[in-house]
Amino acid sequence: MARRSTMLSRRGLLTGAAAIGGAAALSGGLSACGAAGAASAADPDQIQFWTLLSGGDGGTMADMVAKATGSGAAYDVKTTTLVWGEPYYTKLAMAATGGRPPELAIMHASRVPGYAPGGLLDTWDVGRLAELGVSQDDFPEEIWKKGMIGDKVFAVALDAHPTVLMFNPEICDKAGVLDSDGRLRKTESPEEFIDLVSQVGGQTKGTPPLSYGYLGDGSQMFRLFYTFYTQHGAAMTFPEGGKAEIDDDIAVESLQLMQRLLDGKLAVQRNDYAAALAEFATGRSGLLFTGVWELRSVKEAGVPFDMTAIPTLFGTPAAYADSHAFVLPHQNEVDEHRRDLTYRFVADLLKGSYEWATAGHVPAYLPVTQSPEYAKLTPQSHYADVAERVNYDPAAWFTGSASNFHSGFGNAIQPALMTGKGAPGAIDAFRARVDRLLKTQNPVDPDGTWKP
Amino acid sequence: MTAAVERPLVRTAASRARTATTTGPSREGLVSWGFLAPFLVAFALFLVWPLVHGLYLSVTNQSLTGAGGSWVGLDNYREALTDPTMWRALRTTVWFTVVSTIPLVILALVMALLVHRGLPGQWLWRLSFFMPFLLASTVVSQIWVWIFNPDIGAANSVLGALGIEPIAWLQDPAVNLYAIVIATVWWTVGFNFLLYLAALQNIPDQLYEAAAIDGAGPWRRLTSITLPQLWPATILIVMLQVLASLKLFDQAYQMLIGVSTDTTRPIVQYIYESGFVGYRFGYSAAISYVFFALIVVVGVFQMTAMNRRRNLS
Amino acid sequence: MRSRQTRSPGEKGAGRVVAFVVLALMAVGWLMPFLWAVATAFKTETDAASESGWIGGDGLTTEAFREMLSNGNVWIWALNSLWTSLVITVLTVTISALAAYAFSRLRFPGRRWLFAVIVAAIIIPPQVLIIPLFYEMLTFDLIDTPWGLILPQIVAPAMVFILKQFFDGVPIELEDAARVDGAGRLRVFWSIVLPLSRPVMAAVAIFVFINAWNNFLWPFLVINDTNLMTLPTGLQTVIDAHGIQYAQTMAQAVLAALPLIVVFLFFQRQIVKGVATTGFGGR
Repeated sequence: MARRSTMLSRRGLLTGAAAIGGAAALSGGLSACGAAGAASAADPDQIQFWTLLSGGDGGTMADMVAKATGSGAAYDVKTTTLVWGEPYYTKLAMAATGGRPPELAIMHASRVPGYAPGGLLDTWDVGRLAELGVSQDDFPEEIWKKGMIGDKVFAVALDAHPTVLMFNPEICDKAGVLDSDGRLRKTESPEEFIDLVSQVGGQTKGTPPLSYGYLGDGSQMFRLFYTFYTQHGAAMTFPEGGKAEIDDDIAVESLQLMQRLLDGKLAVQRNDYAAALAEFATGRSGLLFTGVWELRSVKEAGVPFDMTAIPTLFGTPAAYADSHAFVLPHQNEVDEHRRDLTYRFVADLLKGSYEWATAGHVPAYLPVTQSPEYAKLTPQSHYADVAERVNYDPAAWFTGSASNFHSGFGNAIQPALMTGKGAPGAIDAFRARVDRLLKTQNPVDPDGTWKP
Repeated sequence: MTAAVERPLVRTAASRARTATTTGPSREGLVSWGFLAPFLVAFALFLVWPLVHGLYLSVTNQSLTGAGGSWVGLDNYREALTDPTMWRALRTTVWFTVVSTIPLVILALVMALLVHRGLPGQWLWRLSFFMPFLLASTVVSQIWVWIFNPDIGAANSVLGALGIEPIAWLQDPAVNLYAIVIATVWWTVGFNFLLYLAALQNIPDQLYEAAAIDGAGPWRRLTSITLPQLWPATILIVMLQVLASLKLFDQAYQMLIGVSTDTTRPIVQYIYESGFVGYRFGYSAAISYVFFALIVVVGVFQMTAMNRRRNLS
Repeated sequence: MRSRQTRSPGEKGAGRVVAFVVLALMAVGWLMPFLWAVATAFKTETDAASESGWIGGDGLTTEAFREMLSNGNVWIWALNSLWTSLVITVLTVTISALAAYAFSRLRFPGRRWLFAVIVAAIIIPPQVLIIPLFYEMLTFDLIDTPWGLILPQIVAPAMVFILKQFFDGVPIELEDAARVDGAGRLRVFWSIVLPLSRPVMAAVAIFVFINAWNNFLWPFLVINDTNLMTLPTGLQTVIDAHGIQYAQTMAQAVLAALPLIVVFLFFQRQIVKGVATTGFGGR
């Protein structure tokens, strides 16, 4: 304290400045906050829009928004991109709980069953949508129904993004597995498909011909597994409070096909997502199991490629998919004007979703996919039929993209894929996990009192 | 710091004696509450009430969304104590505390001893070591995520120059907790450094003068005067550091988004995840109290250790 | 604060040189990460995303800063950080000082007991309270409002403790004289005690401000509206739709760090002292 006297003046200045600044902030600041809080209020035509799309998808979405707002639209849109996955869904739930969320947000359709029961989402007014030219008839049935709980619509799909098979037409042509139209030869059983893959293997110079990466990626494992499972025409249902209904034989057969493919000759036995993608994108392998969203990155890599639905190997056409869908996060006080603008904005985005197809996704809005313009779009039009055979995650509060269910599936299955052994045990482990989750009430509605 | 901690114990008694001679108690009582009211209202609203209410929430199935809230008794605690994820998070937290506290104390001491020698450039030394402490956790995380980037990060470039294979710092579960430790040491060592520096300045000159007369060399002076004199400060610093490290959340959460965090999830992150990611407020509140119990036990243990020492000396 | 250049008479050139070199190496090591961030911020995105040296192949550029500033969010967040931190500081210091004065000078029933409770509360980690506090803010409808952000941050029992210890050390005679002249308690506090306490008040204020400016967890929980976010939470939550832009990310980090570094350069001595006196308050 000996220095107090010499430091008084400077400190006095500091304290004074802080006090003045503080007072200014208290008066001016709070009005400023009023202004900031009202920044949206000041512009009654601005819609806050949250997405989890970044990279190529984010850029495409930004273009679509710019197009929608540019043409003398009645609304202005502020798009906010949040970190993909769990951080996004956490923030969205917290915002909806607080009652002052953005007017509009994008969600994976598979997450809606876990979200809606807590009152986190407002419902879409079907009549209002229809006035704007958006109705159930404009969507493939499965995709529209995925946005519904009971008879209420909680989500309107923008797209379906299924798992598909990419192939390198040059390599496949040399291997003689293409038909006269340059499409991959049809295969209708696991054996036929394995024959096709080994034939391609003759042209890949020692690299296994099929690329599939899954290590540490539960979603990636579930996508392929569930594609094969549903191709059996089998369902997988998770009744709340009950036991998982999984057809064990079919599940084991599906997993065993994955094991047969991952034998080290047809496909590298232990590969991760990025490495598998790189194998294909550098032209070393001829086939790749992946999602449509990789279209752009493979295109940019400059390798010749085409895409097709995953061949129907067990009788029923089916592919795992999810949808990006529009939702209305629950607001305590709805601004009807803004909500009206939100409806219009969504209708405009759906009608402009041709652009979205360039990112690989299959637009959900049929007038777009049925347009002559879209039919000319390659390779997109080569797999547009997948939209008719999509299979989402089994509905439950705990399933969906970026959920723990996927990582739990991965933990149960990965050892079997890595060793090529113990498929029945892996399915048992998976079932046990699901049963444990089914015993727990949906935490957004722990007393189970919610009704749609 | 030492000043603030040691002096009051003597003065409080003195000032109390003085206040006793001022005006009558009844009016003063009223005035007192006037002075106290703003703080006490805030204290009650934002500290005491949440603490009590949290205890209540921990015996319900309250959800983030406002649904639920039914009484479930001790179910949440029973679940927590048998939840392997919770135990793992506790172990991670304790292990992080151990491996971060050691360098955070030793490096701070070394820095303070060197700076205290009065070499030229005092402000620069202080700025270098303390500046990171002024950064927000987000900024620290962004810088270190960048440095630890497995492909183009500076950390692997340095290793490469030394002929060492690149490391997946944040992706490899065997090393990512230590990557967090490195970032944390860089970020917060400056705080301990300043505490040590203040403590060094409080060592009376006479001790060194006497030692110089006795012909003690620098090493001798360090071991027989400086370090023993720093002992109370060291205890305080260790205590503060342990409590701070146990509260690990920001940098671990921020640096490892998108990475499987099973091996790095600290207990505070598990509180956050159960409550806000998993929507289970009741369960999360129960884990909060398990964590609180840990803090209290550690705190009380340290206090007793400190008091015992003070009584001895 | 006295330096002791003179205290090591036995120490000759060699020792000093070794100490200097060690110290310089450590200081460089400590500055390096931040300087590396600064260097990256001045690169083009292409250079930043490839393994380049301190200066990228495209030379120095302020492109990243310009990009960042043209995106309105960063300004809004910086402004939010500034004014909420100032309000938190003023409120915390005011209510803590008033309470501390009462504990130091006034006599009232339950004083010791109450003070003991407040001191004991220092140990309560804020992290333990996030769930019930969030619930409370829901009840008061304060989620996504500035007050929901500010109010829970103004309770600082440690600051009451520190200020009380300081007031205990201020000579009481001056106050007694004023009281004899008929000045009320508040007047005495305002015109006598406060002026004498400027150094400690400044130390406490700086400390509270730094903590508020950098606080992450609570603002992260209570604010979802991007127009109300503070810098640390905004930078963490919102990303660029076009993917990670390294140079821009580093430019943001540098910008967020800059105000406090400037404050430190100006008030280094006070801050150093502030940490020493308020260190007990923890982080």
